[in-house]
Amino acid sequence: MKQLPKFLLSAAMVATMATSFSAVEAATPPDTLVQAWQIDDIISLDPAEIFEFTTSEIAGNTYERLINYDYKDVSKIYGEVAESWSVSPDGKTFTFKIRQGKKFASGNPITAEDVAFSLQRAVLLDKSPAFIIGQFGLTKDNVKDKIKQTGPFELTMELDKAYAPTFVLYCLTSTVASVVDKKLVLQNEKEGDLGYAWLKTKYAGSGPFSIRDWKANEVVVLERNPNYDKKAPLARVIYRHIKETATQRLLLEKGDVDIARNLNPEELAAVSKSADIKIDSGPKGGVWYLGLNQKNPTLAKPEVRKALKYLVDYSAIADTIMKSKGEVHQAFLPKGFLGAVNDNPYKLDVAKAKELLEKAGLKDGFTVTMDTRSTADTTGMAQAIQQTFAQAGVKLEIIPGDGKQTLTKYRERRHDIYIGRWGADYQDPNTNADTFAANDDNSDNAKAKPLSWRNAWDPGPLTAKTRAAVLEKDAEKRAEMYKELQQAVLDDGPYVIMLQEIEVMASRKNVEGVVIGPSFDTNSVAQAKKN
Amino acid sequence: MAGAPSLSQPSGWRAWLLSPEPGSRWQARLGRFYLGWRSFTRNPLAVMGLGVVVLLILVAIFADFIAPYSPVIGGDLRTQRLLPPSETYWFGTDDQARDIFSRVIYGSRITLWVIVLVALIATPIGLLVGTVAGYLGGWVDTVLMRITDIFLAFPRLILALAFVAALGPGIENAVIAIAITSWPPYARIARAETLTIRNSDFIAAVKLQGASTPRIILGHVVPLCLSSLIVRVTLDMAGIILTAAGLGFLGLGAQPPMPEWGAMVATGRNYLIDQWWVAAMPGLAIFVVSLGFNLLGDGLRDVLDPKAAK
Repeated sequence: MKQLPKFLLSAAMVATMATSFSAVEAATPPDTLVQAWQIDDIISLDPAEIFEFTTSEIAGNTYERLINYDYKDVSKIYGEVAESWSVSPDGKTFTFKIRQGKKFASGNPITAEDVAFSLQRAVLLDKSPAFIIGQFGLTKDNVKDKIKQTGPFELTMELDKAYAPTFVLYCLTSTVASVVDKKLVLQNEKEGDLGYAWLKTKYAGSGPFSIRDWKANEVVVLERNPNYDKKAPLARVIYRHIKETATQRLLLEKGDVDIARNLNPEELAAVSKSADIKIDSGPKGGVWYLGLNQKNPTLAKPEVRKALKYLVDYSAIADTIMKSKGEVHQAFLPKGFLGAVNDNPYKLDVAKAKELLEKAGLKDGFTVTMDTRSTADTTGMAQAIQQTFAQAGVKLEIIPGDGKQTLTKYRERRHDIYIGRWGADYQDPNTNADTFAANDDNSDNAKAKPLSWRNAWDPGPLTAKTRAAVLEKDAEKRAEMYKELQQAVLDDGPYVIMLQEIEVMASRKNVEGVVIGPSFDTNSVAQAKKN
Repeated sequence: MAGAPSLSQPSGWRAWLLSPEPGSRWQARLGRFYLGWRSFTRNPLAVMGLGVVVLLILVAIFADFIAPYSPVIGGDLRTQRLLPPSETYWFGTDDQARDIFSRVIYGSRITLWVIVLVALIATPIGLLVGTVAGYLGGWVDTVLMRITDIFLAFPRLILALAFVAALGPGIENAVIAIAITSWPPYARIARAETLTIRNSDFIAAVKLQGASTPRIILGHVVPLCLSSLIVRVTLDMAGIILTAAGLGFLGLGAQPPMPEWGAMVATGRNYLIDQWWVAAMPGLAIFVVSLGFNLLGDGLRDVLDPKAAK
């Protein structure tokens, strides 16, 4: 009993300390924006290598590109580092004029030399996103001749074909075309690696923020770049790696973070009731779809493909399991892309599906497997689809697996049905048309393996149409061509495209000006502030 | 009064059971069983454990009559999803608008099936390996025991994971994986028991009568090892349930929409804060059944293990 007063005293001390600490920690500093996010996908901070969701966004906030587009209206393209550009009469040579007087975060001026170096470097390093520039006939051997500096503030880029100018320009808005500080990068070059080893974890750009620090699976810290034209209101932006969504929610509710990025629908519904929290969302360039392997003789029947499109309860999934994370969208071009078809012709119609199955000689249905990644979203949707399929006698067996397993099987086209997500690589419609509607070689050892190949589908004349669309200069005609392609794929394609992804951020009420852009690299905190 | 004479003079069938001079083998066996049952029922916790196990079996058999809804077909996603426990849905509904009570009820079949299959596969393997190694000794013993060591060197869940990854996900493969990983301890116990028996006089006597080695092992060694093995298997049941649930939780056991308890907890994890019942109800089922088997195992040990008694 002698110990008791001592114990009470220390307990009281601990309690006061705990409360005083929590009082101190309850709010983040007014000039700092803290975001809770799953950032375990970061591999590299080098714009020539960045190809992940998280790093794309970080690059978007820290690097400037030659060209950019209005995040609210994707069709409005403007020069960011470039002041203006022109296309030669034969459509093969682009000339860019660079804005004068701009500076990198390091203080070095931005010149045409830096721009040419950045584009050449992306092709020379040849990492995952290099094809976005490389597809214009640029290779390691010829890139130094094709991309040329022609003056201190002027450069030209020569292509192998006369592509639609918007296609070329959209590709140049991708993160891989970010302008890097040539002088700084070359100072840190090791054995002719063009600064690859150094830039993997460091920063050499000119965007609104600079990257100060990255600790894997812990934190990324951005700091205001004083040399940027339109100075950012915030001094610091911190991305904290919080894996569990429930933890993100608690941190947001307590005010330890300003924005939570990965909340699930139920958590969003719960936090939206709080007076201190608001929810913003915007459509993204990703679509959720089912891929039907045409090597399976049943799925190869056109009636069956069509029947399955009538056997998904699109709106119920969008309203419940994927609430506020996806909206119904059935064409392969997401809303916001040039020529996107936004009317969704299919809805759950069991009678019609049964009729189609009967026509295919499958009156009693059939059994089919679906490779499903074991994540909450995917499994949830898969089970909902399983139930609606069953109403027409289609017995769906779900094969659970982790992302790598299911994807490997899919890429070797050994699946029956695959459920997954496809994200656009750049803002031009060709990015999805190329993969959904074109297949140059459907043999097992084809070189290019687009989604149509993965599902062993030969789109026939659609391939030629896709290739023609990319060369069409007139934007309206081009949009029309993509509409036709989408219609054809909607009618007969081996994909049941269900939803367009929506990005949701739950943030504290005092946060303002965070932009949710149409692609993964266009979530901008450049003009964000806290009141 | 009435009780006193019955104690001193057991009447009817009880007298027959407790007779010091049983007339037949059967009478002797039943007598032993009755004595065991009496000492078992003296432990109320063990009886409770037995009750849980019996209940599990009954629920599994009569699932069709008990469950009010289908375990796999959900209701309307828009209106019946994630409802809290109520009179219509005793355990609430899950993210696919399915009745969790019905799923837990049908899940008992899967659990029971896994336990029985694992016990049927692993026990004979362990028993045979252990008794053969213990009785024959020499290089047979060395080889068999080193193989057992290799299996014992792996953490059980990890080895099961590896097997499932190689065989492909699915409840049958999970059963095989668990069975493959759970026989080594049985082999060890059987071997230890055999070592204490192999030099007994009665074994020497059978040997002198010309009994063959298989006959001695199967007819005389195995029955004597059985009781301690049964105790061990019963105690392991809880572990088997947890491993099966763990595989289900990791998405490698049962395939959706099978109402496997571990898989159900895994789904519920996403709704833990606001819709606690989705994870809590199957979790509770796992807890109760594991506890039941543990209590039953403890009680059985007290009865069957002659060394531990008194």
